[in-house]
Amino acid sequence: MTTPSRLDNQQMAQRVFQELRPGSAVALGSGLPGLVAGQARPGSQILFLSEGGGLGYQASAATAGQGQTVVDSGGQGVDLIPGGSMLSTIDVAALVRGGYAGVVVLQPAQVSAQGDFSHWTTAATPGLFSPGWAWDLANGPGRVIAIMGHTRADGSANIVSQCTLPVDGAGCVDIIITDVAVLRVGEEGLVLEEVAPGWQAGDVTAITGAPLILASNLREMSFEPVVAEPPNKVYSSGLAAIHDLPQGATIMIDGFAGLGGMPNYLMVALRDHGVGGLTLISNTAGVARVIGFGTPPGRLAIDHSILVDNHQIKKAVASFPVSPSPSRPSSFELALQRGEVEVEVVPQGTLAERIRAGAAGVAAFYTPTAAGTQLADGKETRVFDGKEYVLEEALRADFCLIRGYKADTLGNVVYKGTSRNFNSVMAPAARITIIEVDQVVEPGELDPEEIVTPGVYIDRIVLRPPDFLGYE
Amino acid sequence: MTHENDKPRLDREIIAMRVAQELPDGGYVNLGIGIPTLVSSFVPEGRTVFYHSESGVLNCGPLADEGEEDIDLINAGGQFVKPVPGMAFFNSADGFAMIRGGHVDVTVLGAHQVSAKGDIANWMLPQRGVGNVGGAMDLAAGAKDVIVAMEHTDRENHPKIVQVCDLPLTGKECVSLIVTDLAVIRRTTEGLVLEEVAPGWTAEEVQELTGARLTVSPSLREFQL
Repeated sequence: MTTPSRLDNQQMAQRVFQELRPGSAVALGSGLPGLVAGQARPGSQILFLSEGGGLGYQASAATAGQGQTVVDSGGQGVDLIPGGSMLSTIDVAALVRGGYAGVVVLQPAQVSAQGDFSHWTTAATPGLFSPGWAWDLANGPGRVIAIMGHTRADGSANIVSQCTLPVDGAGCVDIIITDVAVLRVGEEGLVLEEVAPGWQAGDVTAITGAPLILASNLREMSFEPVVAEPPNKVYSSGLAAIHDLPQGATIMIDGFAGLGGMPNYLMVALRDHGVGGLTLISNTAGVARVIGFGTPPGRLAIDHSILVDNHQIKKAVASFPVSPSPSRPSSFELALQRGEVEVEVVPQGTLAERIRAGAAGVAAFYTPTAAGTQLADGKETRVFDGKEYVLEEALRADFCLIRGYKADTLGNVVYKGTSRNFNSVMAPAARITIIEVDQVVEPGELDPEEIVTPGVYIDRIVLRPPDFLGYE
Repeated sequence: MTHENDKPRLDREIIAMRVAQELPDGGYVNLGIGIPTLVSSFVPEGRTVFYHSESGVLNCGPLADEGEEDIDLINAGGQFVKPVPGMAFFNSADGFAMIRGGHVDVTVLGAHQVSAKGDIANWMLPQRGVGNVGGAMDLAAGAKDVIVAMEHTDRENHPKIVQVCDLPLTGKECVSLIVTDLAVIRRTTEGLVLEEVAPGWTAEEVQELTGARLTVSPSLREFQL
């Protein structure tokens, strides 16, 4: 009897590719995961993310070293796809921790029956541990796929009951795809779901260092790409885009003070949608309507006040909740005086940082702002280097309504001037982010170097009607 | 108790002019609303100052001319500004990282009260029940130097420089210099030092309108403009 042949690296990468969904960001570690990017077909719209900050790339058509400025996690030159963009190191980590890399593909040296993994660098250089971003990847909320040889060159098992190498991530691997099988890490242990062509369950069990449960639908691996349509992010109207915004939701809305950067068209849609009990996170709770900020005489700016007047707001979290002029009170201040709304005043920089933390999967942080003031009352404080800091918790929202200048259909956004303010901070901090823009363009029309918000953070795009004014 | 003193005081422009002399050449400066906004008009010739604004711009330009307003170009007060060469835009998280991270050299703030220890209260009057903190607390905690520009007393002629603030605080022990319509007062480890007085005013007269004890500088002089 002859041993059935094992899969080659390309076949393993093809099998991994079946797990990926169009429109999602997929972080690829170094080693075998790098081959997964080579499986992409035009239009599959999978945004591969490399440790170096490329988001949306494919294998390079050029000869290695010939002008590629983007590299994959293994240092190989790659090309950005139309709609790809570049991230800094901190933005890469934020994307991963914030849960926006829906799938993470890693090549561990060992995986345990509980899904613990030891990264290959640990095995390659014992005592000289360089985790790179593996820890961030493995511990992010994304689904973790391990791609690896089932055994080592000496025949010993890479899939074991307990890792013998230092563990880099505990209980984080979800699926193991090897050169002989597909295993799922289940509550009850490792489940053998698929075997390579020619292999029997017993062959796989024999070379695995942990007990395997056979799936009831155990099947042979296939390598055909799964065809799925990329999601359409462009909505026909503001109301269509916010149709499922629920009663009682926490919402973020941009707006520094005046109309610049404010999603007035979506605000009107939200008023017409009519749901109430909303918690509003925003820099102001609507002051443009009373102060004007350049609104033509006799006209009223469309701001948060229209939601307050329609009794939709329950609470505002803001740095500048009321009018600068007490003699010209805003709708929100009048509602506050009537006891209809609550307010939480947050220093502007703390507000921005709380949103950034929420976006980046950071639970809380210490800031010197507000130490010793009433806005720190009841909050934990701590002294670092003789200076007092206040513990502030992250903010996230169910829906986020923001305003950009241009977006491509993948949701990559550029802003204009000071209208960026809270928009690009809030974009990654909500379950559903809806952006109102002046122009929608095709992928590739925005310069990747100028993209401020990558499309992975934008769920829905609405074109602001050209004749829509920010005032009424 | 203070008694009436109806000698002329300096006007807001003179306060701004005096503050402007404190701005370092090549420095990054954030100006608050009110008298601080006027400071940019009086920067001495030959000195370059880069303005940081919480609206998300570094090297913020002067106010825009009528008819030239651009909705995407505002300062922290919501006023339209001119585009100038070398402007840089950023989001609110980055704008405040700049402040908290100590990259803003000087902020000039207005105040309701400043205490002997350099505490500042400028964001809330309790009788209103709610206040706009905006970026004031971040600036107080983060800027390298906090200069207060304000009137020496309130409308009822009560001192705004006090032993201990009784209004809600914006920041603790952060004010380095106070410039008012009567005096220039520096906070040192020994307390508040009166360095300059308005023309026609004596150190004793200024002390009478001040709620905290002032040490008179041995080199006390008239306002230096």
